[in-house]
Amino acid sequence: MAQIEQSGGGGKKKKGAQKKMSIHVDFTPMVDMNMLLITFFMLCTTMIKSQTLNISLPSNEKVEQAEQNKAKESEAITLILATERDKDGNVKTDGDGRPMNTIYFYEGKPLIPEGYKDGPVMNSNLRVEHFVGNEGGMTKGIRKILHDKNEQVLEKIETQKTRWRNKEISEEEYQKLAKEIRNDSTVSRPVVIIKATPEASWESVITALDEMQINQISRYQIDNINHLDSMMILGYLESGGKK
Amino acid sequence: MGKARIKRKSTLIDMTAMSDVTVLLLTFFMLTSTFLQKEPVTVITPSSVSEIKVPTANVATILVSPEGKIFLGIAGEADPNVADGAWATEEVRAKALEIAARDYEAKTGKKTGITQGDIATFAKLNMFGVPLSEMHNFLQLPQAKQDEYISDMANAGVGIPMKEIVYTDADGSKIITNEFQIWMRAIYNSGNENLLQAMKSGEGIAVKADHGTPYAIVHDVLDNLQTMKMNRFSVMTALKTEND
Repeated sequence: MAQIEQSGGGGKKKKGAQKKMSIHVDFTPMVDMNMLLITFFMLCTTMIKSQTLNISLPSNEKVEQAEQNKAKESEAITLILATERDKDGNVKTDGDGRPMNTIYFYEGKPLIPEGYKDGPVMNSNLRVEHFVGNEGGMTKGIRKILHDKNEQVLEKIETQKTRWRNKEISEEEYQKLAKEIRNDSTVSRPVVIIKATPEASWESVITALDEMQINQISRYQIDNINHLDSMMILGYLESGGKK
Repeated sequence: MGKARIKRKSTLIDMTAMSDVTVLLLTFFMLTSTFLQKEPVTVITPSSVSEIKVPTANVATILVSPEGKIFLGIAGEADPNVADGAWATEEVRAKALEIAARDYEAKTGKKTGITQGDIATFAKLNMFGVPLSEMHNFLQLPQAKQDEYISDMANAGVGIPMKEIVYTDADGSKIITNEFQIWMRAIYNSGNENLLQAMKSGEGIAVKADHGTPYAIVHDVLDNLQTMKMNRFSVMTALKTEND
């Protein structure tokens, strides 16, 4: 591998002159080995550490019904998450490869038609939305609904954000102010109740929690789905309410 | 006329510079890398906008496979020199197994047969998920066999069971618990002050589930955590932006 070359090549050399030696070491195998090692490390490392989302659930003790319904009805919005699955239990995806997560939601109390006894609830105030996010800078889908509900808070936070961007206030001050605004009881803030059907994918639950962060909603809770909720969905599907 | 001579040129390329570059890259990767921890199942976590990083120390990870199997991973102090090196990860794990086994024996009246040797083997495990009754046999297997055993999702003996254990406590009242709860309590009570604080604040409990897992399965885990009054915990997610 390492070879010693005589400089000048065969030529007329003065007798007795010292030969100049240049040493070439072939580094190709060294490079090969290094590349292998790099590949190994690249494949074995996790460059991006995963993130976490903090959740606090209420304790499992039975809460008085009256206590639970304390939230003002005008401010409450209930989301029921559902996911369409094929018969193997895999999440179905639509044409764009997005998982088919559906959100049924109603504002305030569930509206039940008079004379309802049991079975699917027809003509309730249940509506359907999807997780769309932003499209062309505009909020769409469920995000728009939550955005509109929390408009007062979002507007106030946006003003503070502009101040922070213009370096009028520091980041800590901005975070502190944003927190105060989120918890300001003088403005109308929604209370979001998140429920999920047993088939709903974990992803849809996380996405829903995420929407709370995006829309700066401070009051939300995860609740269990009840019989009436499922009956409302059933009624909605039976009436073929695919809007 | 002399023939046109083609000069023979040496094809040797000087690889020294290339070698320099690769060694630099290699150094970079070696220094920045944290190795992927071996997990029985690979799950793709859902993405969220939350930017809080997963802690690497003082955290109990609950891995939920899409089939509903539960695995636990315990990480103690990242730096064994903290607290006189007495509470490194392995110590916490050993202590947790000891407490869990004792608790299980007291509550079910069954023997687990776990030996000191088993505890030492267990302390090296990154993630585990076998019923306590199977733990002794599992730990006796060579490591390759252990990995093979634990990644078989069809096996009923894999995953920490959530089957009800009913026992009567000192006051004579009936209490329902399960092995998952026994484990979580054991980790909670393993005596590491930092881990305890982390678990109380919610940073020390991380739930990791696949994005397609039905909510019913994850709900089971969350419900058990709620029952144990571990209401605050974190959920592992990948990063996405608000515009997605």
